[in-house]
Amino acid sequence: MNRGLLAGLLVAAAVIVQITVVNRLPMPWGVAPDLVVLTVVAVALRTSAVAGALSGFVAGLAVDVAPPADHELGRYALVLCLAGYLVGLLREPLSSSWRWPYGVAAAAITGVSLGYALVGVVLGDPRISLAAVASILPVSVIMTMIVSPLVIAPVSWVMRSLVPDDLITVGDVSWASGRNRL
Amino acid sequence: MRHDSPRARTLLAILLAVCLALLVLDSRAGDNPVGVGARAAGAIAFGPLSSAVATVAEPLSSFYTTLTRAPGAARHIEDLERRNADLAAEVEALQADGVRSAELADLFTLSGLGGYEIVPAQAVTRATGQGYSQTITLDVGERDGVAADMTVINGEGLVGRVMDVTSRTSTVLLLTDSSASVGARMAGSKEIGVVSGSSHAITEDAPLNFELLDATATVKTGDRVVTLGSHDGAPFVPGVPVGKVRSVEDTPGALSRTALVTPFVDVSRLDVVGVVVAAPETDPRDSVLPDDPSKGDK
Repeated sequence: MNRGLLAGLLVAAAVIVQITVVNRLPMPWGVAPDLVVLTVVAVALRTSAVAGALSGFVAGLAVDVAPPADHELGRYALVLCLAGYLVGLLREPLSSSWRWPYGVAAAAITGVSLGYALVGVVLGDPRISLAAVASILPVSVIMTMIVSPLVIAPVSWVMRSLVPDDLITVGDVSWASGRNRL
Repeated sequence: MRHDSPRARTLLAILLAVCLALLVLDSRAGDNPVGVGARAAGAIAFGPLSSAVATVAEPLSSFYTTLTRAPGAARHIEDLERRNADLAAEVEALQADGVRSAELADLFTLSGLGGYEIVPAQAVTRATGQGYSQTITLDVGERDGVAADMTVINGEGLVGRVMDVTSRTSTVLLLTDSSASVGARMAGSKEIGVVSGSSHAITEDAPLNFELLDATATVKTGDRVVTLGSHDGAPFVPGVPVGKVRSVEDTPGALSRTALVTPFVDVSRLDVVGVVVAAPETDPRDSVLPDDPSKGDK
């Protein structure tokens, strides 16, 4: 199966579940876990920077366009696109333990939350304040990390089992390729 | 494909530029065709999808909701049950208060008619150790001015007499006890006699025996009987309604006449009673009896 198609399907499923199910559940503290970030991270870790950026862009745009239009178009897409690209650069080192994707996911959700807030500051969103960010960011990270095994493990498994893992070779790992990242 | 090829950077730059363009377009005041169109498309695409998934995921959502409410739910149920019990108890108390209030009013009416000075009391138990004697326990005792051999009445009439008294409780021998006997007088006449209880536990509705001293006295069904009164008002004050003649036993040749009397007081349902702590200064005669004369029962 085509890797890109599979990534697209996974991201689409994540967006649909996020918007139609997760965002409707009455969450403690009113912050829902972000399955989209987790899926983009898992996909980007198993593919490439290009695929990560594309899937992040598409997923972010879908979230931007979807009905609760509480923010500007492109805001989430911008942040997620960048996050997918950066995570895609990291790739999964062969020696990585099972903890590696979760560390990346934690960093990604933190970065996405901060970036989203930063874009809001730039655009003059009156809801973004230091106090609001300080209260929402930890809750968002914790909630997302709590559900992360339920997303990262299946997505990684699907990506690994349905697609021949031809990209993960010693020569293709970033630190062995002789090039600097970015 | 390299990780960080120029192609990848170009793509990233294009995507970011698109995002920025959308952002700028959408954050400007006023409607822009791109934003409105995209949102409309999003609504069209996600609306049905959202409702469909929501329908499918409804059990999941409700399960989650149940789960998040579960710790509070137990407490909530406990609270509700406790409140329910409280309210039920309150309602019962109010109803009981209403009944007691009515009984108390009757009691005061009767004692006012007779000029008796009473101490209101609550019948707390009807404990009869072996079931031979018919006694009740009241929640008043010596500290309330109750002493042995005082008359006990309620709103209907004679209940019995105080048999034994402690500091806080007193035991009352009911007039239906087979060892109780009360000097009594026919209302409206001067025929006197002795009313004695005849009942045992299994025949609580058994009438009282009224033995008239005068064998030639005329007694009719429906005649009423009041207490005769004892010396110094102990154990029985005069004028308290005792009961109504149910039937007259014809006993030819006997030295006395006997009538069966139904007590006015229902001894199986005693609640508020009064202990007469001071007898009236004058015999109230028949004035304590209800206005309705016995002729109405004929």
